[in-house]
Amino acid sequence: MCRLFLIILFLPVTYHLSGQEISPPRFNKFADLSFTLSESQQSIALAYVHNWRLGKKRKIDLGLGIRNTAYFGVKKEFWTAPAELSRGSKAPFTGVFSSQKTENWDTLVVQRAFTNSTNLTANLGYHFSSKWYAGFNIDLIGFTFGQTTSGVFLSNGNTSTEPAAKPAPFNLLLTGDLDLGTLNSEFFIKYQLTPQWAIKGIYQFLFVEYKTTTVEQIAPDGTTNDRFRNKANNFGIGVAYHFKK
Amino acid sequence: MKKLIALLTLITVFISCTKENATPETPVNENVDTTTTMVQVMGSFINGPYGTVSGSAEIRKEFDGDFILALTNMKISNGPDLHVYLSKEVQPVNFIDLGKLKSTVGNQVYAISGSPNFTEYKYALIHCQQYNHLFGSTELK
Repeated sequence: MCRLFLIILFLPVTYHLSGQEISPPRFNKFADLSFTLSESQQSIALAYVHNWRLGKKRKIDLGLGIRNTAYFGVKKEFWTAPAELSRGSKAPFTGVFSSQKTENWDTLVVQRAFTNSTNLTANLGYHFSSKWYAGFNIDLIGFTFGQTTSGVFLSNGNTSTEPAAKPAPFNLLLTGDLDLGTLNSEFFIKYQLTPQWAIKGIYQFLFVEYKTTTVEQIAPDGTTNDRFRNKANNFGIGVAYHFKK
Repeated sequence: MKKLIALLTLITVFISCTKENATPETPVNENVDTTTTMVQVMGSFINGPYGTVSGSAEIRKEFDGDFILALTNMKISNGPDLHVYLSKEVQPVNFIDLGKLKSTVGNQVYAISGSPNFTEYKYALIHCQQYNHLFGSTELK
């Protein structure tokens, strides 16, 4: 009788313990290294991510991270950055959908762009299986340093030299052309090779911003502008190392 | 996994080390028809702060009204991304980019679009655009 009592007493405990063994961990912590490229530009990003696994089966990842993105570009075109000029709208979110005002766009051809950005990131992902995972991440806020370089400034049919274009130092996600600075985002699919190591394929959308120091755009309404943005669409690959749960 | 990381690093280094954009050194010999063109302004190149340039430049008006820049007996030290400019200043502050230098040696002709005011754009320059280095200049008069 005593033995039966003990079995009944410990049955829920053993069931709970065995349940813990098969359920996925509550966190997904990893570091990853990404390489992306397209014509005349490349980037390398190193990130640490701490995701919480949500949902009944813990298939959804949501979390924060920190990422350093190094961007290299040769003779890349940067266009008028401020949303009020490039889109004609300063309203948050609507800037993405408002039409482009190309008549306000001037071009700064940055000759040897190099930026190094460190940003806080937001991360979202979904575990399709124990091996396959898809996700999205985006930079939220941070800072940039990088190389001052010359540029060729094209405005209203005139060409001039910008001797010292500099990376914009402050980064902030405000959606669309309202964004400030250099912000990286990735859509990716990841395949788990071992419990620790995974490889991933990446589509990257990267905003890079340079500021002029000598020449300035003078818009048709008379406002001046020194901010110019490159929107890079790159493909790449990466590796991730998952820390022990 | 170490091999994979090493391979990725190698690929990145390889991509980053793209070949410098040097100018061809094969001599070109583009001759101008002096019977159908007329010299407007001309000058002889002198060295800039970077590189060496010798030769002469002429802006010629063609029979149909178009303008060309003819560079004659050019000899230019090689550099990356060399361009030919017509400039308002001896340093390329405000300029018209006539295109990439065709060769470091020989006679070459560059089309000039539109009808710039040659009293404003009175310098011909050989300029390394990528590094913002002036190789040579001439005042056209």
